[in-house]
Amino acid sequence: MHISEGILSGGVLAVGWAGTVAGVSFGLKRTNPDRIIQTALISSAFFLASLVNVRIGPSSTHLTLLAPMGLILGQAVFPAVLVALLLQAVLFGFGGLAVLGANTVVMGVPALAVSMIFGRAVRVATGRGRVAVLSFMAGTLAVMMGAGIAGIMLWMTDADFAGAVKLLLVAHVPVAVIEGVVTAFLVMWLKKSAPEFLS
Amino acid sequence: MSQPAYTLEFPRVTLTVSKTRNPAVTLLSAMIYALAVSVSRSPSALLLASILPAMMLKGFPPRYLARLNVMNAVMILTLALTWPDFSDGFRTGMIIALRVNMICVVLGGMLRPLGTGGMYEALCGLRVPEKLRVLVILTLRGIYTLRERYESAIISVRLRAPGLSGLMRLKVFACMMGMILLQSSARSENMTRAVKCRGGFAGFMQGGNSAMNARDWLCVSGTAVYAVMIAVMNLA
Repeated sequence: MHISEGILSGGVLAVGWAGTVAGVSFGLKRTNPDRIIQTALISSAFFLASLVNVRIGPSSTHLTLLAPMGLILGQAVFPAVLVALLLQAVLFGFGGLAVLGANTVVMGVPALAVSMIFGRAVRVATGRGRVAVLSFMAGTLAVMMGAGIAGIMLWMTDADFAGAVKLLLVAHVPVAVIEGVVTAFLVMWLKKSAPEFLS
Repeated sequence: MSQPAYTLEFPRVTLTVSKTRNPAVTLLSAMIYALAVSVSRSPSALLLASILPAMMLKGFPPRYLARLNVMNAVMILTLALTWPDFSDGFRTGMIIALRVNMICVVLGGMLRPLGTGGMYEALCGLRVPEKLRVLVILTLRGIYTLRERYESAIISVRLRAPGLSGLMRLKVFACMMGMILLQSSARSENMTRAVKCRGGFAGFMQGGNSAMNARDWLCVSGTAVYAVMIAVMNLA
């Protein structure tokens, strides 16, 4: 879901940075200093999980795990996403620097939105079926929302990107379903083994 | 032999610290260059912008460049097929591919040698809030700590269930992820106690001599002038 360097216009890059500064400031203000270490280690766990290549049929994919990140980290998710993307850009050469703001918005906004929409409902849900459905919806929505925001950014850069945006959205449907399934399994496991994670 | 269900693609990273210049200057200059190239479309502006990557191309891993351009080829084809006009889409794709190549060569050449210590110093020099700097360093430390756990978990899954398929593969991945989250939480509690024993985050990690001096600002201004020249050529 990364947008590569050199694609977005100057205006869209500026909007991305403005959104990132606002989101990170909000997240840092709401993060208790005592929870910084836990936030850092949990975001490392997610960072590494996103590097794991999961074989699906003849192809393979890397999962973004935006919804579990949002559900577990809550309001601290925006700084965690920025840090993960910065480390990817600087250490591994994935993504980029100028586009870092835009990519943080593409991935941070869905994670934060999922945490706000589904966080409480997932915490209070009791039946396994209900938890599975809610977390599947959260996982699917996070990916589609991220693809949608990336699409809007491309369309704002040049309206002729409309065809590519449609393709981007269609291509993300199977990824969204897989993410939804993984989110559902992960949240059900956490509800059973470590419910404090979701509080 | 069947392919493994999961593999951890952990690229090689540089952990050295560049001592040749202030890392904040490097980070800021790389960012200014990337911004200037991102908004360039005209051939003359792109030609001017290509001077810096041409100087840095020597020593850049050709395998990485080849992989990047395979992705670029897919992108060019996609744009050509989805654009209202095939030739316009192809041209736009080629321009984007050229920009991606130039930015990646410059970022790779400037940022990868910085290493982790250099990056921390760069963040100190750019006056990034301490909470965020601590988050960067601890996330990085966590990546190296938890990497071994992931690798051993993947080996364990391969040994115990080599023929995983369908939903079971995703379920096992989710359980593996859950267990590592639990381990990371336990580890973070120990680290929090250790940090508190040592007096908290005050002076958690001192950035070296990271304040930017007049010479550093001169370097940044040089990059800014280069970026302005690219922008002027683009408008012309």
